[in-house]
Amino acid sequence: MEITKKDVALAAKLAKMRVSEHEAAVYEAQLEALFNWVKDLSAVNTDGVELSNVNLSAHVRADEPVTDEKRAALLRADFNASLDDCAKVKKVL
Amino acid sequence: MMTVDQIINAFKSGEKSAEEITRGFLDVISQKNPEINAFVEVFETGSLARAKELDQKRARGEKLGALAGVPVAIKDNILFKDHKATCCSKMLENYVASYTSTVVEKLLAADAVIIGRTNMDEFAMGSTNQTSVYGPVKNPVDVTRVPGGSSGGSAAAVAAGMVPLALGTDTGGSVRQPAGFCGVVGIKPGYGRISRYGVIAFASSADQVGVLAANVKDAALALEVLAGKDVHDSTSLEAPVPAYAQLFSRDLKGVKVGLPKGFLDGLADDIKQKMDEAAAQLQKQGAELVEVDVPHAKYAAPCYYIITSAEASSNLGRYDGIRYGYADEASADLNSYYENSRAPFGLEVKKRIIIGTFALTSKNYEECFLKAMKVRELIRDDFKKAFEKVDVLLTPTSPTTAFKLGQHDEDPLALYLADLYTCQGNIGGLAGVSVPFGKDKDGLPVGVQFYGPILQEEKILNVAYHLEKGL
Repeated sequence: MEITKKDVALAAKLAKMRVSEHEAAVYEAQLEALFNWVKDLSAVNTDGVELSNVNLSAHVRADEPVTDEKRAALLRADFNASLDDCAKVKKVL
Repeated sequence: MMTVDQIINAFKSGEKSAEEITRGFLDVISQKNPEINAFVEVFETGSLARAKELDQKRARGEKLGALAGVPVAIKDNILFKDHKATCCSKMLENYVASYTSTVVEKLLAADAVIIGRTNMDEFAMGSTNQTSVYGPVKNPVDVTRVPGGSSGGSAAAVAAGMVPLALGTDTGGSVRQPAGFCGVVGIKPGYGRISRYGVIAFASSADQVGVLAANVKDAALALEVLAGKDVHDSTSLEAPVPAYAQLFSRDLKGVKVGLPKGFLDGLADDIKQKMDEAAAQLQKQGAELVEVDVPHAKYAAPCYYIITSAEASSNLGRYDGIRYGYADEASADLNSYYENSRAPFGLEVKKRIIIGTFALTSKNYEECFLKAMKVRELIRDDFKKAFEKVDVLLTPTSPTTAFKLGQHDEDPLALYLADLYTCQGNIGGLAGVSVPFGKDKDGLPVGVQFYGPILQEEKILNVAYHLEKGL
């Protein structure tokens, strides 16, 4: 993967950070080496792998049922929309 | 140096006062810290006042806690109310904690004495302890070498006898690798075993608090105090906490130790030899050695650097001069305000934020971040299957022993590769412990690591205890 100074500058801008010319040059070389190494991952077949979409501990965590219905209703009322008794929020990409 | 067990007994029996014990360790710190640089602040007045309180508590005949009178050092990213917590970064140089972390609360409830905060790589990003704004820590075994990192200060403090117990944090090996380099024991429990409340976040899906101690039993005693569900951390696990130090078996009969296929390929001969010796010793103590396959584990390091950098880019977004961190009041507009306020980050921290941000851009998200997340699932599955066949896995802690200060400054990728064996534990959420096992040809400590499943820390502690005992 080729990394350019422009890529470094764009990522720094998105992260609201200023990088000097010198830093950009150092990062450009180091990021290129790193992302070429990361390319090793492309050799792994991940077809059909689903993200568990839960944190690592979720499989041993107990359910946390709503105990205070009044408070839950108040929280839901603060949202603009709801679906199946859950607050509905905009999808963020 | 007195062990934790000996300190507790000496204090509880009245043989020594907490003040005497604390003064003893403060003396060692004042002698050794100027060269080693393990502590960035020593709470001399506070720790002595606390010790005197404990002496009074004992004099009143009140029940004493599980770590009564034991001085403990905390890494500089763990909050202790009204004390500085800087992550060894200029960004937080004046930050004073407004509340106390759960781990420190638990230590205080167990009647421990918090003696100071220890040096670390800036924001826990590094494995040499050279990125600290307070300067590098030196390895007490050989001061021309790194102590490892990022909890290098905690490991060096224990190795130098400045403190019997220290807390670290471990996101990719930051407790176990410095433990291996300095010749002490370092345990990172499985994800969720210890609360992260009040620990400054680096990568939330991998961060865990760990313990550095002079021996396995001391580490077990501390883990028992620290482990458990915390209502302030939803990722902490609701499960009973065993009395780890009382669960050591008489021998290793019936224990299956897994040797992952191909893990020793490419290792230096003397480290490979130590690994073979460790396996042979465990077998002699009754363990059954079983070869297991964890085919995707070799991809853990690149996964780790993508995932943790992505999480860091998000977690460190809070240092914007408004919520936390340095505020540049002289900036002319909002963009300059943000950029100037984030300027105090060091080179390595900025680099990780850039890596993470770059991996999360729409152009790279699928190829980098999503791919790494999917490979992480495969790695976790591999370990899950391995633990259906064996109780623990045996690996090296690091591919090398402690290297010279500055040796890899020009080649950060070499440093990243050095995390290969430790970051697997964070990617998999496993429990891991590093225990010293002899020396290499240069007389430097070699660390041996055991992995165990989540919530089964007693298994790795037991095997580590037997390995240590057999030396």
